[in-house]
Amino acid sequence: MSAQQNLNFLVVDDFSTMRRIIKNLLNDLGYANVTEADDGATALPLLKAGQFDFLITDWNMPGMPGLELLKQVRADERLAKMPVLMLTAEAKREQIVEAAQAGVNGYVIKPFTSATLKEKIDKILSAQAAA
Amino acid sequence: MSERLDIDSYADAVAELSGALASRDEQAFRAALATFDNVRDGAVLTGVRKVTVELQSALQRFELDSRLIGLAQQQVPDARRRLAHVMKLTSEAAHQTLDLAEQCTPLAENIAGDAAKILESPASRAATDPDVVSFLQRVVEGMGLLRSRLTEVRLAQGFQDLTGQIVGSVLGLVDELERALGELARITDAAGGMAAKEQTISRGLGPSVPGVGKTEALAGQQDVDALLQALGM
Repeated sequence: MSAQQNLNFLVVDDFSTMRRIIKNLLNDLGYANVTEADDGATALPLLKAGQFDFLITDWNMPGMPGLELLKQVRADERLAKMPVLMLTAEAKREQIVEAAQAGVNGYVIKPFTSATLKEKIDKILSAQAAA
Repeated sequence: MSERLDIDSYADAVAELSGALASRDEQAFRAALATFDNVRDGAVLTGVRKVTVELQSALQRFELDSRLIGLAQQQVPDARRRLAHVMKLTSEAAHQTLDLAEQCTPLAENIAGDAAKILESPASRAATDPDVVSFLQRVVEGMGLLRSRLTEVRLAQGFQDLTGQIVGSVLGLVDELERALGELARITDAAGGMAAKEQTISRGLGPSVPGVGKTEALAGQQDVDALLQALGM
């Protein structure tokens, strides 16, 4: 098992089906350590308390939305460099721009394919390794 | 309270009657009496027309109030519960599909693994038979394809997230509508004693939704069969 496959993922989405789908896909890709949270407010304490290496988050969620979670992550000294992939149905240009400005590392539009998810995760991890 | 009588409108008719009486003119008296009747009938007709208009207006207001109450108390809350139920059903269906796909994936992997082991085993007699080898190769390929399709099936369940978000936004709108209608109904103060019109069974009620409608739906086919049996069918 490669070092990357030991990465701890946190998947944040308010829909349990989507969390399960993403978790299954990550497992298929060899990432076995996947934790779930149903919105930003639940995810943030987990991120601050846990040893997560990668955050995958939806945008539109009750409580704290994904963009706010992203901003909170970037504002936290310990979490600031965490790779964040936004996986969302929000597909307006200005939203993607806003997410990029807030420091997102990747953005995948739902519905998505397994190949797209893999490609974006690989790209983020490669960029992180090169940095 | 009775309508006030318009005495002035009778003045001419009474004067004519009085004149004819004084002059003992029977023909003139009959004509004056007819005029008097016309005046009286006209007053009654006007009264009837007024009452009719008021009654019609009251009925229309009652219909409107009743419709408003029906929307606020029954139809909009029903719509909200129906939408919430749709979300629940689609979520359950998506999870069930995920369950089944997850159960099938290791089956496909195991079959492919076993077939590959036989192909790779030099000691296996099966591996020397060209037909068996060809079959085992197709098994390995087919199971690989099956596994990939099962992944797509799992991914397709993402529809529940997308449709759920859309339904969720409509639910928010329905919530607002329900509040606004409730407020409107309260302002018109028309709730007292008025019952919303019931949806008629003859038009069909659609799929059963828990908490919607006065009578609970049967839980399943067994209940339906039991009911039919109890009815002697």
